[in-house]
Amino acid sequence: MHEVSIAQGLLDIVIENCRKQGYSGIESIKVKIGKAAGVVPDALLFAFESMKVDTIAEKATLIIDQVPISGFCNGCKSNFTVDDAYVICCPHCNSFSIRVDTGRELNVDEMEVV
Amino acid sequence: MKVKVVTNILEANDRIADENRRIFQEAGVYVINMMSGPGAGKTSLLVRTIQEMQQKVKIGVIEGDIAGTDDAERIDKLGVPVVQINTGGGCHLDANMIREVLPDMPLKDLDLLIIENVGNLVCPAEFKVGEDIKVMLLSVAEGHDKPLKYPLMFQESSALLLNKIDLLPYIDVDMAKIRKDSLSLNPKLKMFEVSCKTGQGISEWAQWLETLVKK
Repeated sequence: MHEVSIAQGLLDIVIENCRKQGYSGIESIKVKIGKAAGVVPDALLFAFESMKVDTIAEKATLIIDQVPISGFCNGCKSNFTVDDAYVICCPHCNSFSIRVDTGRELNVDEMEVV
Repeated sequence: MKVKVVTNILEANDRIADENRRIFQEAGVYVINMMSGPGAGKTSLLVRTIQEMQQKVKIGVIEGDIAGTDDAERIDKLGVPVVQINTGGGCHLDANMIREVLPDMPLKDLDLLIIENVGNLVCPAEFKVGEDIKVMLLSVAEGHDKPLKYPLMFQESSALLLNKIDLLPYIDVDMAKIRKDSLSLNPKLKMFEVSCKTGQGISEWAQWLETLVKK
């Protein structure tokens, strides 16, 4: 629901990076968004398209790399990955004693510049 | 040419939130970020909490709403400092909005600052504002499916208040399921059953909060 703030945040980051390093344009931006981060990819793309206008990222494509929730179960000592937006217990043995390692990412990963 | 950036998109917000937190710590004020869906009873809970604690704890309130000043007016009547933020469509409060109103809040005179977030079960959980803890409110009439539908807020909160329990005789809600699913998402979650209409359960919640403030 706050995809506009996210789009603004990522644009601020890449534009600031370009300004510091002297690049004049951005062709693509790759972001890593965890499935549990509460961000709807389509809404983020839509927000990005409208907010990039009149910036040096005007021609940039946004590439969203969705990161699934994964972690380690202390019960059955195995790694797990799930498709949902949340995880309550180990999908293998139903143990509640789990460590979640990925799925909350909200990062700008890399950009292609000119 | 590809350039690695690897920066958290919410980093700017988190940095301001950390600064807010330093300001709160220096002033010696404990801060809670209160979140819920629209209409769960955040302002009613605030009124009850202030009435219960006012003699012992000096409280200030920041009200976040998309528009209007109704909530701030209700709090103002109780004689505590209150500032209204209108987000103008924004679905949550962020650290910078809080930062901008801090000069209007007599922080040094306060023990407890309660920030009432915009009514929304999704976004407020994602944005830190500099709080010590997040507290969420769910009115029982919203239904027992909410913890699993909106997991992040349940995971981020330190306490869950189940409000409007005076309605329980009239509605089909599985309280055991709310408790079980909430605890599965967050085993450390402290839960209170309250009714802001009758006042039931308010003193237990206020005592718990007072212990945290006086720590």
